[in-house]
Amino acid sequence: MTENQVKILDGNTFVVSDERGDIEASLTDPTGLFSFDTRFLSRWVLTVDGQRLSPLSVDDLQYFETRFFLVPGTGTVYVDAKLSVIRHRSVANGFHEELTILNHDDKPAELTVRVEAGCDFADLFEVKDAVDKKGSYSTRLDDRRLVLTYRRETFSRSTVISSSQPCALDEHGLTFQLQLGPHGSWKTGLDVVPEVLGATEDGDTEPSLAWQARRPRTNMARNLERWLDQAPRLECDWEPLKTTYRRSLVDLAALRFSPISAGRHSLPAAGLPWFMTMFGRDSILTSLQALPFNQELAATTLRELALRQGTGIDDFRDEDPGRILHEMRYGELTAFEERPHSPYYGSADATPLFVVLLDEYERWTGDTRLVRELEFEARAALRWIDEYADLQGNGYIAYQRRNQETGLENQCWKDSWDSISYRDGTLPGFPRATCELQGYAYDAKLRGARLARLVWRDPAFAEALERQAADLKRRFNRDFWVEDGEYFAIALDADGRQVDSLTSNNGHLLWSGIVDKTRAKAVARQLMGERLFSGWGVRTLAVGEGRYNPIGYHVGTIWPFDNSFIAWGLRRYGFKEEAAQVAAGILEAAEFFDGRLPEAFGGYPRSMTKYPVQYPTACSPQAWSTGAPLLLLATMLGLEPVGEHLLVDPALPSTIGHLELLDIPGRWGRVDAFARGRVDTSVPARGRRGR
Amino acid sequence: MTKGTGREQEMSDDVVEFFEELGRRGHEPLLAKVTGRVRFDLVDGGRTDRWLVAVDKGDTVVSHQDGLAACTIRAERALFERLCRGEENAMAAVLRGALVCTGDVELLYAIQRIFPGPPRERPAMRGAEGSR
Repeated sequence: MTENQVKILDGNTFVVSDERGDIEASLTDPTGLFSFDTRFLSRWVLTVDGQRLSPLSVDDLQYFETRFFLVPGTGTVYVDAKLSVIRHRSVANGFHEELTILNHDDKPAELTVRVEAGCDFADLFEVKDAVDKKGSYSTRLDDRRLVLTYRRETFSRSTVISSSQPCALDEHGLTFQLQLGPHGSWKTGLDVVPEVLGATEDGDTEPSLAWQARRPRTNMARNLERWLDQAPRLECDWEPLKTTYRRSLVDLAALRFSPISAGRHSLPAAGLPWFMTMFGRDSILTSLQALPFNQELAATTLRELALRQGTGIDDFRDEDPGRILHEMRYGELTAFEERPHSPYYGSADATPLFVVLLDEYERWTGDTRLVRELEFEARAALRWIDEYADLQGNGYIAYQRRNQETGLENQCWKDSWDSISYRDGTLPGFPRATCELQGYAYDAKLRGARLARLVWRDPAFAEALERQAADLKRRFNRDFWVEDGEYFAIALDADGRQVDSLTSNNGHLLWSGIVDKTRAKAVARQLMGERLFSGWGVRTLAVGEGRYNPIGYHVGTIWPFDNSFIAWGLRRYGFKEEAAQVAAGILEAAEFFDGRLPEAFGGYPRSMTKYPVQYPTACSPQAWSTGAPLLLLATMLGLEPVGEHLLVDPALPSTIGHLELLDIPGRWGRVDAFARGRVDTSVPARGRRGR
Repeated sequence: MTKGTGREQEMSDDVVEFFEELGRRGHEPLLAKVTGRVRFDLVDGGRTDRWLVAVDKGDTVVSHQDGLAACTIRAERALFERLCRGEENAMAAVLRGALVCTGDVELLYAIQRIFPGPPRERPAMRGAEGSR
């Protein structure tokens, strides 16, 4: 993605164009209008009298609308500055563009305005991997609409383009012949509407899926306003934190995605532009981060994931009974089973995390109804851990894809090819049992036990789960502990041998509670030590390990989302100051990105670069990076639901000064939290304190 | 979509067997939260074969009635036969426009759980076969 691309979005519909508002997509580049994982417009070029336009400015009004101010001509000297062109574009069902032309001259003007349109109907996977199309294209002109269609057997996707003002239509676009009076203006509305699951037929009496995919949007500006109004209000002395908080709330609103089955409810999609869909792991972790601020995202995530929970064994989709999906897609390759995403289940963490989220959601909301409603699915998820995930036969969750061709090799959050390595940099074989999966399983069992006792009224099941959890914890602390390094190995390999590198995963272990109290101090010391902590945050892989690279995707960069859970973990074991230090580092880094944290940034020492070096990633905003400041805020404030009350136990960096978070929603109604920064984060905390 | 020729009778039996088996079960735990009627319209040339599945919290009654349903699922019979044998994925078929659903989408999601998974001994992945 280049710097000057302009993106607007709503759910899984988004438009990426250049700064003139034009789209000239090649197969491998992600510009265009996308909806339901298909590109519905790959060419959209505006000319006036055959000339391209130049941008004067781009006005990013909201995440769903933008305005381009243009003049005819290209280059630094404008051929005719007596004319200006405004394109005001907003995402709706597809997009709507108000095209305005202003004549600043005192003489009349005759103009030919042309909009070139075309579409390759690429599946988003094709855009990523450059795959050839197998179907055929057609173009139809009817009345005042240009209809572009792609067909392959029963699969059909169309783009309908229309103008509110009369125009001449041809197969490649729309032409307007204008006569503007002195200081006159002209305006037309252009609509580009995708037909997702075939056009709705006139004879249909019942709403079809196609119809529901095009459900009318409510007023988006008002919707965003309401979203911001309903979120807790943040007041604090440190201005950048307020900017970051607001940015997070707005980006989270932009990333809301409503699967067709969810009606008006929404859940967090993973990120723009590649991941505007439901992901088990990303949607769950983002919902967890956002729980103290918005609880509807969690409820929708739980419901929608439950609806699609695995029921049978399907090697192509890596599906097992009880397994929670990894990724859901709607494009052509998925439709023809050339990709397994209908949905794909290759994730080893989403299933235990589903139970974790269900319990945490209940602790915040008291919504036992949903816990009752999802009892069947939660039990199936817990069963999956023991019956289907123990691939090494040693009582640990492990993963190995059964779909060797298009399945995922690494089914944990560090999913790149070299993310799991021994100290010497060599890679283990499969199956792999990564450590954080065991933590999640432990947490899921204990939380499942709480729900079994409280809501499902099944104390015997609760006791069984607690016994299993205690046994898992005992074995884990024995089998994963690296004696000579005093930390937990990132994984056990297929032979049960420790994959012994030092990684940030240790922080997730604290979060899940699987770490023996006697070992917590050593783990915290490692996390805050120089090998892992850069000054900005905790690196994915420690300095000194064979594969360490400060700009390696999962082998040295710092992930804000990772750090938000690490901070939560540190707090869980009483390391308040250390948690505040991690929070301070990440939030100070956010300031360099205008409040929008990237997916990852470089692991260089803070003292060396002075600013966080962004990892060149294609995804921004990304949901769990957006959620990171929210979870860090909750962690610094020590927000913790206890029964019907919200406990507030702040440990705030002194740089933040005074902080108020007002109207925190939950089972208590709304409450306020106040704090004053007292933790000096300028001196390193190195796991000194804590229980 | 082409239809198997020699095995035609046998294939049709897969559909009948699927619905009759569902009816015999009486209760399907995977549908325990589902209440509603789903109608299947199976198109075979000029003929449409109808099956109505009435679900009441997992209790299922299967009939050939032509009644109203909250969710209607329409497909070529040949495709539906493959669904009943686990050779076809229902949600992929929906995306392909080969399985057309009208009405309550949640019912579609719920009811597709009862189709069998693919046969384990499937020799190759769909994508590798290269023909449909």
